[in-house]
Amino acid sequence: MTRYIIRRLLQAIPLLFLISIALFVLMQNVGDPLATMGGRTATRAADRERLTRQLGLDKPIYVQYLYWLIGNDWARIDLDGDGVAETQGTRRGALRGDFGTSLVNRGVPVTTVVWDRLPNTLLLMLTSELVIILGALVIGIYAALRQYSLLDNLVTALSFIGFSMPIFFIALAAIYIFSVYFKRWGLPSLPATGMFDPEYGKTPAQILVHMILPVASISIISLAAYSRYIRSTMLEVLGQDYIRTARSKGLPKREVIFIHALKNASLPIVTVVGLDIPLLLGGAIVTERIFAWPGMGRLFLDHLERGDTPVVMGIMMLIAFAVVIFQLITDITYAWLDPRIRYH
Amino acid sequence: MQSRKPYLFLIVILSLILSSCAGGGGAGGNGKTATFIFTQEFDTLNPLYTNMWFSAITNQIWNCWAWTFDDQNNPIPVLVKEMPSATNGGISPDGKVITLALRDDIVWSDGKKITSEDFKFTFDMTMDPKNAVATTFPYDKITSLETPDAKTVVMTFAEPYAPWVGTLWHGIIPAHILQPVYEKDGTLDNAEWNRKPTVGCGPFVFKEWESGSFTRFVTNTKYWLDKPKLGEIFIRFVPDDAAQIAALVNGEGDLGTFFANSDVPSLEQAGVQVYRVYSGYNEGVYFYLHPEKSHPALRDVRVRKAIVMAIDRFSFAKQVLLDLTKPAVTDWDNMPYVDPSLQPYPFDPEGAKKLLDEAGWIDSNSDGTRDKDGVELVLKYGTTTREVRKNIQAVAQEQLAAVGIKVDLYNYESDQYFAGYNEGGPAAHGDLDMFQYSATPQFPDPDVADWLCNNIPSDDNPAGSNWSALCDTELDALFQLQATQVDFAARQQTFFTITKYIYDQVYWFGLWQDPDLWGVNKRLTNVKISGATPFFNIAEWDLVK
Repeated sequence: MTRYIIRRLLQAIPLLFLISIALFVLMQNVGDPLATMGGRTATRAADRERLTRQLGLDKPIYVQYLYWLIGNDWARIDLDGDGVAETQGTRRGALRGDFGTSLVNRGVPVTTVVWDRLPNTLLLMLTSELVIILGALVIGIYAALRQYSLLDNLVTALSFIGFSMPIFFIALAAIYIFSVYFKRWGLPSLPATGMFDPEYGKTPAQILVHMILPVASISIISLAAYSRYIRSTMLEVLGQDYIRTARSKGLPKREVIFIHALKNASLPIVTVVGLDIPLLLGGAIVTERIFAWPGMGRLFLDHLERGDTPVVMGIMMLIAFAVVIFQLITDITYAWLDPRIRYH
Repeated sequence: MQSRKPYLFLIVILSLILSSCAGGGGAGGNGKTATFIFTQEFDTLNPLYTNMWFSAITNQIWNCWAWTFDDQNNPIPVLVKEMPSATNGGISPDGKVITLALRDDIVWSDGKKITSEDFKFTFDMTMDPKNAVATTFPYDKITSLETPDAKTVVMTFAEPYAPWVGTLWHGIIPAHILQPVYEKDGTLDNAEWNRKPTVGCGPFVFKEWESGSFTRFVTNTKYWLDKPKLGEIFIRFVPDDAAQIAALVNGEGDLGTFFANSDVPSLEQAGVQVYRVYSGYNEGVYFYLHPEKSHPALRDVRVRKAIVMAIDRFSFAKQVLLDLTKPAVTDWDNMPYVDPSLQPYPFDPEGAKKLLDEAGWIDSNSDGTRDKDGVELVLKYGTTTREVRKNIQAVAQEQLAAVGIKVDLYNYESDQYFAGYNEGGPAAHGDLDMFQYSATPQFPDPDVADWLCNNIPSDDNPAGSNWSALCDTELDALFQLQATQVDFAARQQTFFTITKYIYDQVYWFGLWQDPDLWGVNKRLTNVKISGATPFFNIAEWDLVK
């Protein structure tokens, strides 16, 4: 197993390298970071020329990539535009842990920009994931055990409604119903935006209250999909011979369902969750934007819109790395859940 | 799978702890916290490093301009004893030297005196190539800056520089804090002060900025003018327009801005007071008027006038913009520089047809589009992808078709549309016959860069911003003259002539005046908003229960 893990990690190196090249090239065509630096008017041409040079954007794309990857502390750069490279570069490059500084938040290291948002995203997305997994297990198992019952049909119908609604609609509807109209009707209302009320400060209680609407919005859609998934895999497993054997041996129903059936029914779900978790790092772009939740999704969108290559590269490489790691963890979990699976 | 859940719980708890540790204390100062909703987050707070509007307007909260502007856009001295003028000796007779006399009582929030050294340092840092500042304008107009004593700043210009009131000293930076940083790092690009300017000179002082979430400013006890009535300004970043409106309607926010005209009725219905503040933006259409490359029809003033008269700008203002504004007459409406006798051209399709006939543009081949000498009157009309612009463009296309002018519409993302000549921008390159936008970079001073003969973009002058490629020598002489008239009345008279000249020649036509909309909850009182410096009287703002 150890050799398998090491081999997979070594295989990931060229993969991450290729991903970084592809992303870097794509970013050159996304937007012009200088275009938005003029504020409400176009950036002055003279400033554009100077900033292009000072921020190193005048270099050919392969040089820019090289600087991003291995840094430029071995090279001299021309800051004053006199054609003479007089200033020593200071960047150490991604390979040495320096992902550069943000073009938007001038001078702030990418690692700081990303780290500032990561806990907020993890909090929102992992809470949502927990709600989704637990909710989907309860609904999926219940629906599978009572196939075609009224509740099963009701859950099926609600699942399809939830699954077919766009997230922005759910989020805005939630804000207007539970925040605006509830307040207007004199009912206890929920906050619409941010992580806390400045009157009370950023306490855990405030954060939890402010999480209710975004978590609910994110969960509704995935809950619908996951519960359908669990229902169908549980139905498949419950029809297997070994479950019949377990039942005929007189094992308690709870043990049959949760130990024997659920463990095997979980295999495909582990794959879905394993793929989901690294993507959680990217945050929920729409939800974070609507609820003004300061997470990675908003960070990504804000900086993508402004062509901030270093920050976007930082986020994307973090996600790419997480995908590789969680794929590996998923495969290992597979082996644990199903002893027939062996990795060499 | 079940055994993973404890780990997920643990990470959630850890994230909750990390998130709560990130700051965000309770109500500061006297407990009066006003919450502002901004749809964009600042890129930086260092005034040298940003042109971003949302960052610039906070300068009146925590930083200080040498002078600010009231709700009539008149200058109010803040750091200077009085506005420099020829009478008080602040402006030399030849208009090339401007002297600032600083107040004696001005101090940074840490108690250090603000001196001419801070002005000199701000100037030096702006012009230093080691600092990737947002713009060197207008400091690149200054040939020398002297500080004969701690309270005097003498600026010398190569030419008399009339727009100084609207453009100079938009924020200063503290030399005693940043000089050591510059000496150590060789640049201010990475200074912590850029994001945490804990020493400032406004009525409030920076307290905290959490990325993507909020920024807090608390009372500056050392402020030398009126002491603030509020204890804290809490700015929350809410990027979604609909969420901003919801936050204003449900009372989570006390002030918001940058919303659409269509949001005004729901805000007013919820008791939110909406302020329409003119900050010099006048949405209008420029014609491409290059003497050789432009469409031949556009070189005839009668055709240009016919185009204006064929478009119903009055209905746009009424129906599309909900009667919250009116058609603009000049590029400089709502500034004291516009000839007061000017009125918008009437909507008169029949008159437009007559003018086109007179100019010889008739539909000779009965294809529905006028032509002359084998050239069809088909124009390329471009703008950004902003929804209101696209809507109005579509209506204008229909109305122009009714008088026999065919218009092909083009829409671009902002960065593409406003790209310069070297970057292949469509307007800069003369690819469009008519191009629409509004800009007012020097408000409350009338910006003229887009009109100057020496600013026409070309291979030799890619930086040029006169995308009309218009070079009318008579007009250009007037522009050159006003730029040197440091006497307000004389300059105003010149501008009256300029605005009348452009109006008569129809080099530009206005679609609508584009005020900034501000929504203010009723519990926030004493609010006045200026177009140039919105928060000029923020020290007087108060909260009532």
